[in-house]
This record gives sequence, C-alpha cells and structure tokens, in this order.
Amino acid sequence: MGKKLHIHSTSTCDVLIIGAGGAGLRCAAHLHERRPDLLIFTVTKVAHPQKSHTSTAQGGMAAVDPKDKTDQSLYHMFDTWKGGDCASDQNVVKKIVDGGWEEVQWLERKGIHFSRDEGGNISKRQFGGHTVEFGKGDALRAVFVADRTGKGIMDTAWGEALKGGSRFINTTVVTELLFNEGCCVGAVLFKVKEGEFITVLAKATVLATGGSGQVFRITTNCRNNTGDGLAVILRAGLPVMDPEAVQFHPTGIVGPGILASEALRSEGGILRNKELEPFMERYAPKMKDLAPRDIVARAIETEIREGRGIMDPDHQIEHVWIDLRHLPDYVHEVKLKEVASFFKTYANLDSRTQLCPVRPSNHYHMGGIPTNEHGEVLTTANTVVPGLFAVGECACASLHGFNRLGTNSLLELLVMGRYAGERVLSGLKEKLAPAPKGAGEATLALFTSYLEAQGKENVGLIRQEMREVMTRKVGVFRIEKGMQEAIASLIAFKQRVAKVAISTKDTRMNQELLERWELDNLLDSAMAIAQGALMRKESRGAHFREDYPERSDEFQFHTLVSMTDFGKVSFGKRPIDMGICDAKGEYYEQFRIMPRKY
Amino acid sequence: MTKTYSLTLTIKRYDPDRSARWFQTYRLDSGPILRFVDLFRRINVEQDATLAWASSCEHAQCGSCSVNVNGRPMLACELLVENAVTLFGTTVFKIAPVSVAPVIRDLVVDWEKAYERVHRAKPYLIKPKELPPGMTEHRISPQELARYEEATRCINCFCCAEACISGNRTFIGPNAAMAGIVRMMDSREKEKEERLDLLYSEEGIYRCHTSKACSHVCPKQIDVAHFIALAKEGAF
Repeated sequence: MGKKLHIHSTSTCDVLIIGAGGAGLRCAAHLHERRPDLLIFTVTKVAHPQKSHTSTAQGGMAAVDPKDKTDQSLYHMFDTWKGGDCASDQNVVKKIVDGGWEEVQWLERKGIHFSRDEGGNISKRQFGGHTVEFGKGDALRAVFVADRTGKGIMDTAWGEALKGGSRFINTTVVTELLFNEGCCVGAVLFKVKEGEFITVLAKATVLATGGSGQVFRITTNCRNNTGDGLAVILRAGLPVMDPEAVQFHPTGIVGPGILASEALRSEGGILRNKELEPFMERYAPKMKDLAPRDIVARAIETEIREGRGIMDPDHQIEHVWIDLRHLPDYVHEVKLKEVASFFKTYANLDSRTQLCPVRPSNHYHMGGIPTNEHGEVLTTANTVVPGLFAVGECACASLHGFNRLGTNSLLELLVMGRYAGERVLSGLKEKLAPAPKGAGEATLALFTSYLEAQGKENVGLIRQEMREVMTRKVGVFRIEKGMQEAIASLIAFKQRVAKVAISTKDTRMNQELLERWELDNLLDSAMAIAQGALMRKESRGAHFREDYPERSDEFQFHTLVSMTDFGKVSFGKRPIDMGICDAKGEYYEQFRIMPRKY
Repeated sequence: MTKTYSLTLTIKRYDPDRSARWFQTYRLDSGPILRFVDLFRRINVEQDATLAWASSCEHAQCGSCSVNVNGRPMLACELLVENAVTLFGTTVFKIAPVSVAPVIRDLVVDWEKAYERVHRAKPYLIKPKELPPGMTEHRISPQELARYEEATRCINCFCCAEACISGNRTFIGPNAAMAGIVRMMDSREKEKEERLDLLYSEEGIYRCHTSKACSHVCPKQIDVAHFIALAKEGAF
C-alpha cells in the first residue's frame, strides 16, 4: 500500500468553474469581461480545454437573426416547446431564445470563423424541427462553421478565457462539493495527473461537467462523459431532474457510434435490413426514411430485435444498413463528403459502392442538474442552493424538455454560460466562507476504499456489461419488466465493483483508479435514468414506454430523483413552467399543451 | 467470415513511481475495423488494466490520442487495424508516446506543456477590429475566408510538431505558428505587429526547414507547410 491519502493543499479563488467546455468557458469569458479583477479557476477533466466534447458538435447553432424579416423568436420558442413534447420550461425557453443572436455577435467579434454567404454575411442553414409561422415552413435559423460548429465555438470560448486570464486546472475532476450552512463554498478536486487531492474555496461554484453518454454501449459522446456532475450532485443529497430524458440519434456509425447526420437520409439514403428490405415503408408509409429521429430509431431497434439486423463481427454489435449506392457521385463527393469520409475512416467502406452499417446511438442527455433560468441549482423543494450553479449538458433548466432539437444545445450552452456568469456577479459575496469541518474526508475515504479493495473483478468488464444492459433495457425502448431487470443488474454491478483490485497504487495518472471512480458515477447516473424511466408511465419525447405508448397529462411535470444510498431513490416533482402561455401575449395559444405530430 | 489479424503491439511504458521505462509486448487477434484505441481498451479489459493511454472524443476532433506507431505520429482513434497493416506492411507495431511533451505514464503525455507554445502564439484576437458603423457583424467574403479556413481545422494534436525535422526545442512548432498565421490573415485582427514579432523571432518560422513533414502527417490533411510558406513570403 502506498502513502496515506491526504488533502494536498487548499486554494482560494473568486469563482470556481468545473468543466471547461463551451458552457464553462463562455461563463468564464463573461466573468473576465465584466470583472477583470476576479480570480477564476477553470477545471477540466481533459488534458486541455480544447479537447472538450463541445468540439465534436457538427451542424450548427440555432439563433434568430433580428435582421431576418421571415423569422422571429416566437417561432423558435414554439419549435422548442413542441419538439420537447411540452416538457420544456417556457420561461427558460423564452430567455434562452431571446439571448441567441447576441451570442452569435459575441462569437463573431471574438473571431469565430462562421461560414459566409456570397455577400460576406453569416450563412444560415435549415435544421430538423425548426420552422417559421408555427410549422408552416422551414426556418433558416442555424449559423454554422462548416461541419465543425462546436469546434469553432470551443476555440473561441477557450481563446477568450485564456486571454481573460483564467487559471486552467487540467486533467482534474470534482469529487465532492463543499457546503457551509447550506451554501456551496467550493469543492474537493482530484488532480489526476499529479495524483493529488486539493480543496478549492470559492464565492461561487459553477458545474459544467458535460453529459453521461458512456452509460450506453453505443454513444456519440466522448470517453470522458461519465456523468461525473450528476453523481457528485446526488452524493451531495441534491436531486437530478428528468434523468429519463435521453436522446438517441437513429444513425450512429457502427462500431464507434459516431454521428452519421440526418443529411444521409434527406439526400435520399435508404435504410435496409438483413434481407435488404427498405423497412421504413412499414413504419412510416408516407415519410419513410425522413420520419423524425425517434420514429426512425425505434424502427431500426425493432428490426434488430426481430432478427432482421446484421451482426458486425469486429465490434459484436447488431446494425442495419444505410444504402447510398444509388446516389449520384456528386452527392457522395460534395454534399455528403464529411459523412461519407467517416464511413471510409471508421469502417473502411466506400459509400458509393457498399452498404454502410448504422444503428441508434446515444446522443444527448436532456435531463440533468435542476436549475432556474439563471443557472442557479435548485433543491427538491425548488429553492436555490446559494453559491452553486450548473450549465451545459450536465444541467437541466429545462430548455429541451424531453427531446432536444438539433442546434439547440450549442445555443443553450453559450446563453446559459453567460446568464450564469451574470448571476454569479450579481450575487458575489465580499468574503469567502470557510470550509466545513471534515471537508474532503468523504473523498479520501472513497479513494482509499478503491485502492485497498481486494478481488478479481474487472472495471472494464463490468462497464461493458452495464452499458449493454442499459442499451438493451433502458434505451430506445423501455418496458416495466426490462427496467426492473436493469435496476437489479445495476445493484449487482455495484456489489461486484467493490471487488475490483487496483494494481497501480501510485495515484499519479492512475487510469485504473480514475476509471474505478468513473464507474461509480456511471452506475449512479444509470440508476437515476432507470428509476426515472420506470416511474414515468407514459411516453414523452425520447422516453418511449412500450407498455404506455401515449403521452399522459398525469405526467405533465418534471421528475426529480434523489438517491441517498445506491438504488434507494426518492422522487419529487417540479411543475413545468407555462409562462409564455399564461402571459396571454401574441400567439399564446400556440404554447398550450399540444400533440407532438409532424 | 471476416478476416482476423494476429497482432503484436510492443508498447513503450513508463511508471513514474519506479521511474522505470520498458517495452511491453501484447499479442491479440483482431478484426479489420477495430481502431487502435479499441485495441488499447481491449488490452485493459483482457490482459493488463495498468496500461495507461489517452483519448477523449475518439473521432479525430480533439487530438488527445496522438501516438507514434512504428515511428509515425498518428491519431490512435482513427487508425484501423487493416489500414495499419496495409500502411506498414506488417502486423507488428511499436507504439510510443509522442515526444513533444513529457511522458506522465505509459502513452499519456503532459499536453499542457505542449500547449504552452500555442498559448504563446495567442490563439485569439489580441485587438479585435471595431464593427463598421451601422453594422452588427463583420462582413468576410467566402473567398477571403477560403484563404485561411483550412488552417482553422487544426485540432492541436501536435502530430506535425512531432514529425517536424526542426525539432521542438528551438522552433515554436508548425501548429503554434499556424495559430499566429491564421490571425495574421484574419481581417478582424488589428494587432499584426506583435504577431509578426513572434513569427520572425528566434523560435519563429525561419527555424522551419521546409521538409513539409507537417503536411505529410497531419491527420486533418491540412497543408501546414503552405501556411508557413505564406508567412515566409509575408503573403498574409
């Protein structure tokens, strides 16, 4: 056994931002602009902020251009409300949509390389679910940086945070939030590279830790998206909201799960099963392959479940085909260049002559840490936790409700990053509060238990099994019996992980130790997702129950899940804000509860 | 049935606790379309949980997983087994961490140290140009953008710096130089003098020997050498 674990040092700062992707760094940049005197720590799990998952977003960022006479904010709000299956908070939807174009201008002034039209103005493109005049026509609402909009945003936000003087603490994770008389006063961090535990005291703490996609076997999410923020919140006795709201993209490339965009189907790609039958005709006779994401995802899953999928021998995953062979060379070489190159890179296939393997891939967690429209974290009783904020994918305000529209996530992370920064400033105290007694003890005990555990279990193996179970039983299709089985499996996994022995005892860059901790976070996230999904006896947005296939007004609320001991959850409810409808302004009748039909 | 390759991976290891360096050989059978990151993960699960390796997005957009495979810097997340076999004409691979930054453990390097050079090149607009009167955004024609857009695809994987024959001690490196060159070409940057000072400094572009190794190894197929050539000509 190595040295006894201890808290290496205690640092202080004004604002501690945990997570340095788009949301965290937009918040940091705003704070630097407004108050250059503040000391800001930005913590990231990756080796450098530029490596964050935000960089992988492809298509665009939705924002209504006030110069565009054909579009208006109310249309965008309507699309978001409808797309989210009437589970978004309208006060949040309004606030975020209204702040969109200011973000575009901010990015543009700070040097993002937006794609341009012939006149040199910022180009816009159409995206699924975005309409004008309440569904009457397509909206040109997404600004973009070629096919790498997230990277453009990440590079700009990172550059501005660097320029502003953020102190970056890289390759570091948050293991414990610190509270003093109900206020968040900082956090305990584990510096993975140095193998050190440190305490950071701050006047405000902002969580921006990203998603939880690694809960599922096939995901578009990066290796680091292990639900760390959710787990830390649950361990602090705070709730997670709508954890069951998980989006699956219908066409991830087998095996790595990388997103193969909708463009494949809109350009004429046809989904085929093992018998090469164009099966979408059976599920959506009119729209066929152009049906909405969730319908296509369920159709593909059904084909696979009923034995009409194909097994990929290398990755051991079943899939269907997307057939692009009939499309003209021009489409392959120009319009689908990037996606076609993904098939070449990751499956060594030529989409012009070969069938390409796709299957539903976990994509986005709509649920997360409950906040209000300022990014302030809320308790089960809907009261603000002073000093604690959450933004980005780890948070749930909720803009997306139960189904996110494409391009709305980049919008959310920027606008909410700025709003949270603004709120941090308005409430910033003069003095730091001291650390509570026993700060860090829970962390040290947890990591000591990991290092001292004995047994023959293997983190990688348990993680694989968990991801398989969650994909099969709490994925695109959900049914009571399956979810109960999944919960039983999760409890069994939790018992097994206690028998994982870590052979590397030195804590520096100890991948085994980090992955052991991550597995606990994954299990906590998975449990919250499964329990939320089991409780919600209806289908809404991306949450589809085979035993309750319709949406039900009985469940017109947000789920709050708290978990004191693993598997022991308690539920709370938060009302869904209907502010736009209730204000009875122009077009308010478009914001009533309505069926989600396209 | 699919083809199976019997692979030999000899990986350079480093244990900071014992300050020990050694090569360790792993043998595994693999299908053609597994990636090298998938192989590392399989090694962790099936053979050796202690092997540390880096990755994040795993689809060539973050540049965390750069390693030397048989002496060539590449992204492990997009190197398929069958492509590696074709490229190198062997099923035996020697894998080592990149040398542009100190090794922390096994294949994991301290990217923070490598990034210090990119930070020196100031990857942001030092002095952004004011908006023209009455405008809410700048106008940039697609033709103007096209001159430097390719360089903005850089993910700072440092494969170019690793391959650069000028070494990485005296030259700021191709990717860091390119970060400065992009902002020389961007009409929204007003601070050109400071950028020129760095580009023509002791660690600047005249350290470049024009071997074009950077362009040759770039996983994003950016013609890095082209941008350095523009800077040498002053053709921003």
